[in-house]
Amino acid sequence: MSTWDSLLLGLSFALQPQVLIYCVLGVLLGSFVGVLPGIGAMAAISLLLPLTFYMSPEAALIMLAGVYYGAQYGGAVASILLRLPGTPQSAVTTLDGYPLTQQGRAGLALFTAMISSFTGAMIGIVVLVMLAGWLSALATRFGAADYAMMMIFGLVAASTIGATRPVKGFAMIALGVLLGCIGTDVNSGAQRFTFGQTELLDGLNLVALAMGLFGVAEVIANIRNPERQKTAARISLRSLLPTRDDLRRIPLPILRGGALGSFFGALPGTGSTLSAFLAYATERRLSRQPERFGKGAVEGVAGPEAGNNAAAITAFTPTLTLGIPGDPIMALMLGALIIHGIQPGPMMLEARPEMFWGLVASFGIGNLLLILLNLPLIGIWIAMLRIPFNYLYPAIIVFLCLGVYSVRGLTFDIVLVAGIGLAGYLMTLAKFSPALLLLGFVLGPLIETNLRRALLIARGDPMVFLERPISAGFVFASVILLMLPLWRLRRRKARAYEDSI
Amino acid sequence: MQRDWPEVWGGLILAIVGIGAALYAWQNYDMGTLRQMGPGFFPVAIGAALCGFGLVIALPALLRRGDGAPFDGASLLLVLTAVLVFGLALPRLGLVGASFVTVLIATLPAERRGWLWRGVLALSITLVTVLVFHLGLRMTLPLWPRLS
Repeated sequence: MSTWDSLLLGLSFALQPQVLIYCVLGVLLGSFVGVLPGIGAMAAISLLLPLTFYMSPEAALIMLAGVYYGAQYGGAVASILLRLPGTPQSAVTTLDGYPLTQQGRAGLALFTAMISSFTGAMIGIVVLVMLAGWLSALATRFGAADYAMMMIFGLVAASTIGATRPVKGFAMIALGVLLGCIGTDVNSGAQRFTFGQTELLDGLNLVALAMGLFGVAEVIANIRNPERQKTAARISLRSLLPTRDDLRRIPLPILRGGALGSFFGALPGTGSTLSAFLAYATERRLSRQPERFGKGAVEGVAGPEAGNNAAAITAFTPTLTLGIPGDPIMALMLGALIIHGIQPGPMMLEARPEMFWGLVASFGIGNLLLILLNLPLIGIWIAMLRIPFNYLYPAIIVFLCLGVYSVRGLTFDIVLVAGIGLAGYLMTLAKFSPALLLLGFVLGPLIETNLRRALLIARGDPMVFLERPISAGFVFASVILLMLPLWRLRRRKARAYEDSI
Repeated sequence: MQRDWPEVWGGLILAIVGIGAALYAWQNYDMGTLRQMGPGFFPVAIGAALCGFGLVIALPALLRRGDGAPFDGASLLLVLTAVLVFGLALPRLGLVGASFVTVLIATLPAERRGWLWRGVLALSITLVTVLVFHLGLRMTLPLWPRLS
C-alpha cells in the first residue's frame, strides 16, 4: 500500500464523526490544561486515561494524543502572559515571550507561538510519515538484545542529556524499574514484592502512579506558591496581528525549529523540552543581533514553539513503530495502549493500519482545529488564567480520585495515590524527576523480558550485546553519553587550572 | 554550615530502598543463572544499583552547602487527608457525600478565609461530579450516603 493510500485510509478513519469528536475533545482539553500553569500534559493524560476505557483503543489514542499536542499550544499562553510555563516544554518560551508582554506586544507573541506551533507540527507529521515505514521495516530485524540495548540507551539519554546531575536521574529510573518489578513475573509466575496483597498481583496501577506523581504532587506544590497567584491582563484581538517586520523575522526560525524538533523528538530519550531549548540556542547563535534575545525577540518564541510541537509529533515514531516510548509522556501513552490490550510494535503498521494512519491523520486535523480555534478562543484562555487556583485544585483532587477508582474499582488504589503523592511531593522538593521514574516504570518490565530472552538465546553469553551490530551501536552511544559529563568536568578543571597560573 | 539536606536524605532513602529490595529479593526469589535468569536476578541487580546511586547522591551532599526548599507541610497533610478520606468515604457516603467532604478538606490549606466560598465550591464540584461520572459516564457507584 502506498503512502497516499495509507493516508487516505487514515483520513477516512479519523473523519468519522465518532472519532472526530474525540479528536476535538482531546485538543480542547489539552489546550485547557496546557493554559493552566502547574498542571502539565502528564497530569492531564493520567486524569483522562480512565475515561478512555469507555472508548475504542483507536479513539482513545487519538484523544490522548490530542491532549498532548493541544497542551503544547496552551502551554505557551501562560508562558507568554505570566512567565509561568503552562507545561515544561514551553519554559523556554518565557525567555522572550514575557518581555514582549511587558512591552505591550503580548498579542504578537501569542500569534507567533500559535503559527509556529502549527507549522512545527506539520513538519513533524511529514517527518513521521517518512520515518515510520522505514523504521518499522528496520524493526523487523531487531532481536531481543537490540531491543534491550535500545531501551537502555533511551534511559541513559533521558537522564544525561540536559541534566545537571545525571546520577539523580539514574536513581529515579532505577526506582521506577524496581517499582515495575512489583507483581507477577511473566517468565516464572513468581509473585515479586506483593507482600501477600492480591491488589498488587497485576503490578502497581499505572494510573495511580501517574496521578500520585503528577496530579497530587503538583497540586500540593502549587497551593501556596505565591507565583501561582498572578493573573493575566486582558488583550485585544487586534493586537494579535503581526507587523510586516515581524512577519519577515519568523519563517526561518520556524523551519529550523521544526527540523530540529522533528529530529530530536524521534530519538528515544530526548523529547520536546530539549528540542525547545536547542531551537532557542540555535536562533540566538544564528542571529545577527544576539543581544535582542531575552528582551523580546520574536525569533525566540517562534523557534522553540515550532521545535516542541514538531517533537511532540515525531515522538510517536519510536513508540508506535518499535513499541519503545522515547519520553515519559509516550511511556504513559504506551501504558494506555497496553491497558487497552494493544502492544505497539513493528507489526502494528501491518496489523492495525487504521490505528496508525488514523492517528497520523488526526494529527493534521487536530492541529488545524487548534490553530482555527485557538486564535478566536484566546480571550477564553486568558479569562481562564484569571480563575484562582483555589477553585481549581479541589476539583482536580476529586476527579483524580474518581479516575483512579474507576480503573479497577478498588479503594486500595486511592490509598496508593496518597502514598505515591507524598513521595512525589518530596521528590519535587529535592528536585528528583518523577517523570524519569515513570519512564523507568514502563520500560523496566520490557527491558527485563528482552534481556532475559537475549541471554537465553545466547546461552548466557553477555558478549551477545556487543556482537550484534544494532545492539553494539546502542551500547557504544550509551557509553559516549555517560562519558560526556566526565569530559566536560575535566575540561572545566583544566580551565580553572590555567586561570590559576 | 547548612548542608544540602534534601539531597542527603533523598539519597539515603533511595539507598535504603535499594538495598532493602535487593536483600528481600535475594532471600525470597530464585536467582537462576545468567543463561536462565530467575525472578530474583533483575530486582537484586537493580536494587543494588539504586543503593549505589543513592550513596553517590547522599555522600557528596554532606559536604556541600544547600538551600532548604520551602516545605509546605500543611498543604501536604491536608491534600493527602482529602485523598484518603475520599477513598474511605466512597463506599459509605456515596459519590455525593464523598465529593462534598473531600472538597471541604481540600480547601483547608487555601489562604483565602471564610467558609461560604468553600461551601459553594464543594456543592458545585459535587454537582459536576454527579453530572459527569454518574449521568455522563454511568459509573456504577453508590450516589447517596447509606443511612442504615
